[in-house]
Amino acid sequence: MKDLVIDREEDPGNKTSQRTDVSTSRTILNVRHLDIGFGDKHVIQDVNLAMPTGSIVSLIGPTGSGKTTFLRSVNRLNDKVSGFWTKGSINLLDQEVLSKEIDLLELRRQVGMLFQRPNPFPMSIKDNVLAGIKAHKMAPRAAYKEIVQDALEKVGLWKAVYDRLDDSPFRLSGGQQQLLCLARSLAVQPKVLLLDEPTSALDPISVEAVENLFSKLVPEITFIVVTHSLAQAKRISDYTMFFFDGKLMESGVTSEIFENPQMPETQFYISGRIG
Amino acid sequence: MATSVVEDALANSPDDHGKFIPAKLGRWSPITVISALSTCVPLLVLIGILTILFKKAYPAIKYNGGGFLIGRNWRPGNFYANPVTTNGVQHPLLASYGALPLIIGTLESSVIALIFAIPLSVGAAVIVAKKLHPRLRGFVGAFLELLAGIPSVVFGLWGALTLGPLLSRDIYPVIASHAPNIFILKYFRGSTGAGEGLLTSSLILGIMIIPIIASTTRDLIAQVPRLAEEGAFALGMTEWEVTRKVTFPWISAGVIGATVLGFARALGETMAVAMVSGVVLGSYPTNIYGTFTTIAATIVSQLDSALTDATGLAVETLAEAALILMLITLLANVGARLLVRRVASTSLPIGRGV
Repeated sequence: MKDLVIDREEDPGNKTSQRTDVSTSRTILNVRHLDIGFGDKHVIQDVNLAMPTGSIVSLIGPTGSGKTTFLRSVNRLNDKVSGFWTKGSINLLDQEVLSKEIDLLELRRQVGMLFQRPNPFPMSIKDNVLAGIKAHKMAPRAAYKEIVQDALEKVGLWKAVYDRLDDSPFRLSGGQQQLLCLARSLAVQPKVLLLDEPTSALDPISVEAVENLFSKLVPEITFIVVTHSLAQAKRISDYTMFFFDGKLMESGVTSEIFENPQMPETQFYISGRIG
Repeated sequence: MATSVVEDALANSPDDHGKFIPAKLGRWSPITVISALSTCVPLLVLIGILTILFKKAYPAIKYNGGGFLIGRNWRPGNFYANPVTTNGVQHPLLASYGALPLIIGTLESSVIALIFAIPLSVGAAVIVAKKLHPRLRGFVGAFLELLAGIPSVVFGLWGALTLGPLLSRDIYPVIASHAPNIFILKYFRGSTGAGEGLLTSSLILGIMIIPIIASTTRDLIAQVPRLAEEGAFALGMTEWEVTRKVTFPWISAGVIGATVLGFARALGETMAVAMVSGVVLGSYPTNIYGTFTTIAATIVSQLDSALTDATGLAVETLAEAALILMLITLLANVGARLLVRRVASTSLPIGRGV
């Protein structure tokens, strides 16, 4: 991983404000002049950003601001959406994500994703955890048992399910299902986890459990979290990026963004007047 | 001031609060009665048909005995000689019926039809639902459903006049001369006939049930939650892995249901099979091209002559055959239900509505 320094003066015409703190860390994700759209619709406009390795970054902003579209572009999940196009560059783990030559399957192994609602696969709890391992042929059959236990222990689900690993995951509670999905993602040893409102469908206790896990996993894994909960962004993230109308308005250390926002849109949004 | 509003409300509510009391529609409101009656109709019709069929077939059951299920001769007897009475049943001289070739022919042709139809239908459904451009999807889908609306007699005519002769001239001989003499493949060897027979009938049946399985499967695929499939893609699975590990398990119960509908259709299909099977009574085909007959095809082809049997035994025997066909179809349905329950209980979310 090479050191990348973000040049704040690079684009003086760009009215976004980039804080120094982001640029001093090693970065895992570098986005340059990114434009994304679906057909005629221009969803993301000229976004430039960098994310430090081993941190939790929140993407906040009103509905339709393009944060989820951005998130889903990092692992190219938008590829199958009709009319999807991109311009610019997303550099993740020193690979150009948007290039045609990239090994999509390997990229998606390195970049896990957790969705708005738990989405276990229609197979046993055990097989859910192993789904990625099997797809990437990452371990021999003999190691499966250990991998399952390891991943489930990591998310704190082992005690609840160790005696029903062959049962359907759909009988678990919503929070447990989401933890299972997290275990499934962790099993393939990702470097980055994309979280698309990962706790919006969960009860408060499950939310706490999931959030605690993020903080526990954080130096090894970088988290990019799209969230509509400002409280959550404040609680868990080191850095916050505010999207508005397809543009990255402001980004920086979370406490600074919330205590001393520079842009009027950010001020409005975090004080609850827009979005 | 100690009691809250909620406690007040609970204290003042009737003793049996929490029990289910249908508001004003008493126990026997018109809607309840009408719904109850309509619910009973299918059941009553089924029981009615079975009863009438059984009554009609009863003399034949008595006369033919258990031999009907294992015998292979189909001899209506001498209609012109004086009727004879055995076991209290009047029958033509030397009449002797065995339905085993019919039963086996019915099962054979339907199973072979499924072997053709399942992979083709599911494959077509996957392509239509996942690969085709949305505009083309509707177009191709509509054709798939149009196929279901073609009358079976048209299929039969096409099979008898075009497909059968074509296959027996150009395709069957090639297969027959190349099939190795091992296990199941040895039945692909030997005389290929003129195009009427088991393989041609099964192919026609297969084509007839493709739209049933394919259009249901396509609808089921469209109902698989996108989030589940996206999760699999996000984990780095290939298109094929996603289809195999997420999409198929999600729809398997429904596909089994659709397959049974198709199987039932194949079991009962009459006209097309009557036109391309050769309707040969009393023998089994020796290879896959051989002529044969099914229960349904036999009933439709034998009814005319059976009506000339003054003792009525021939018609009663056909009723007995029909009864067996119905039982086979019912058994297939029950079997499918058990299968669906097993498949559905292992891994699918409850209350998914499929």
